[in-house]
Amino acid sequence: MKKREVPKGLRDMLPEEVKVKRNIERKAARLFNSYGYQEVITPTFEFLEVIESGAGKNIRGELFLFLDREGGILSLRPEVTVSIARLASTHLRDEMPQRLFYISNVFRHVQPHLAQYREYWQAGLELLGAPGPWADAEIINIAVRLLRELGLSKFKISINQIGIFNALLDDKALSGPEREQIRALVESKDLVELNRVLSTMRIDDGLKETIASLPILHGGLEVIKRIPYIEKNRAASAAVEELLQAYAALGQYGVLDEIMIDLGVLRRLDYYTGLVFEGYSPDLGYGLLGGGRYDRLMEQFGFSCPATGFAVGIDRLALVLKCREAEPHHCLVGGNNMDEVLKHCQELRQAGLVAEMDVLGRSREELQAVVESRDNWSLEYLDD
Amino acid sequence: MEQQYLTIALSKGTLLKPTMELFERAGLPCEGVTEDSRSMVFDYEQPMIKYIMCRPTDVPTYVEQGAADLGIVGKDVIVEQGKDIFEMVDLQYGYCRFVVAVPEEMENFRLADLNYKRVATKFPVTAERFFRDQGLQVEIIELHGNIELAPLMGLSDMIVDIVSTGRTLRENNLVELVKIMDSTTRLICNRVSYRTKHERIQPLIERLQSLAKGGNSK
Repeated sequence: MKKREVPKGLRDMLPEEVKVKRNIERKAARLFNSYGYQEVITPTFEFLEVIESGAGKNIRGELFLFLDREGGILSLRPEVTVSIARLASTHLRDEMPQRLFYISNVFRHVQPHLAQYREYWQAGLELLGAPGPWADAEIINIAVRLLRELGLSKFKISINQIGIFNALLDDKALSGPEREQIRALVESKDLVELNRVLSTMRIDDGLKETIASLPILHGGLEVIKRIPYIEKNRAASAAVEELLQAYAALGQYGVLDEIMIDLGVLRRLDYYTGLVFEGYSPDLGYGLLGGGRYDRLMEQFGFSCPATGFAVGIDRLALVLKCREAEPHHCLVGGNNMDEVLKHCQELRQAGLVAEMDVLGRSREELQAVVESRDNWSLEYLDD
Repeated sequence: MEQQYLTIALSKGTLLKPTMELFERAGLPCEGVTEDSRSMVFDYEQPMIKYIMCRPTDVPTYVEQGAADLGIVGKDVIVEQGKDIFEMVDLQYGYCRFVVAVPEEMENFRLADLNYKRVATKFPVTAERFFRDQGLQVEIIELHGNIELAPLMGLSDMIVDIVSTGRTLRENNLVELVKIMDSTTRLICNRVSYRTKHERIQPLIERLQSLAKGGNSK
């Protein structure tokens, strides 16, 4: 029965699921529009070179690759930000800043599990050509507003400035291999091994303690005070200052209730360059959204320019939000005289209702039973 | 903020006893927790803690998916499964080590002599990665128990397994050729719970950390 199978990690979406998904998309698009973001559509597949120069070589194991007839290697898009960077550096470089958004499926060859498919949907936005805390705060604010707008309760957005960690790693006390080892352990979240490795390194105790505690420092502004070593490192202090400025700007937006400072948000260290953030709901063991500043991506496409953005997983949102927009009343129209039934259906549709014609010629009793089994349906049966 | 339940996945078997001893010292509820009991969930309304009794190999799955916030499991299982979880505290007990073991007559082999040989193991990922990192290729034969039997019956040339004292190896005329890595019990944490239930989890981590290091509670 291979005929009925779908490839692993892919799925059909039935009407009820699509309603939830479309509701999320409509609300996201409306919100993004209200901040001046315009929708773009990029190709479903790109040259592997484009993907790799943007997202790094490490992503290769997760790509769906195939060949074109000229021997070029193509990849289904594993994300959209890289494509937008390519698009903007080609077509929009004269009009900065740019506010762009997308709603798109992306493809990754990963082990499928709860909330992780091989084809999944993202809504995301990018603010290109704008550095600074007001740009960072704008997109973080939009992330908060989106989750609020969707009626999600008790969610949290954790923010961090990745420059703090990178500046500490660049501390001249550390050798190249030591840096790589620390970076790998932080990314794999193995804090036990991180502590063990740090204890064997001959570096300043303050630096040691700070690196060991960063992945677990979490809270309000007070967490900054718990890392005194940072004052000794100028680049790290500058990064802290940026984090504080963005935090203050978020205060002006009135969204601090949902914001945490979390120095453990250390995602894709080679890609992000500044403020980064992730969003979580206590009802799902996986993150809902993530993003941040990536000032070095655009230069891969020959146009150096600061940029920040985020993407939210629509499938994951749908798991925690079962709601959909109220549906219009649904009329089932039946009768013996099909001409009359048809005419009446047209009238109802013109009046803005949903009219479904009984094309099977069923009796009043049969149709009545159908209507009673459903919410918000009514029967209009036309006698001769 | 309202208090939230904390769910902890416990490993059944040899780790359970030392885990409950540690929990008792940490002031966590322990009353009635046994694996002989029919129930698999132990619920303490005060202080809002729930334990679930799992097979050790299932603990990372419960924690990764958020069905449990925290879990107690050996490093050997964590390494083999590579799940997306935070590894927070080395609890020190439950020591064992991954080894490559061979029949006594191969005692003097060097690693390079094992190229293209067959290895039986319950830990195919760890075994494969170890040999690949050495630049060697081996044929992995995945078994689910009594690994020592495989070389005895000619199913494999060697085994990769965890040992604590090495007695089982000796009884089956096997010798440890190389140690791959050490393993002890770890406290692991779901990446989202760590953030959404931080107020509950962080003090617990700190308490267990200080107990594991040999300090006193609080």
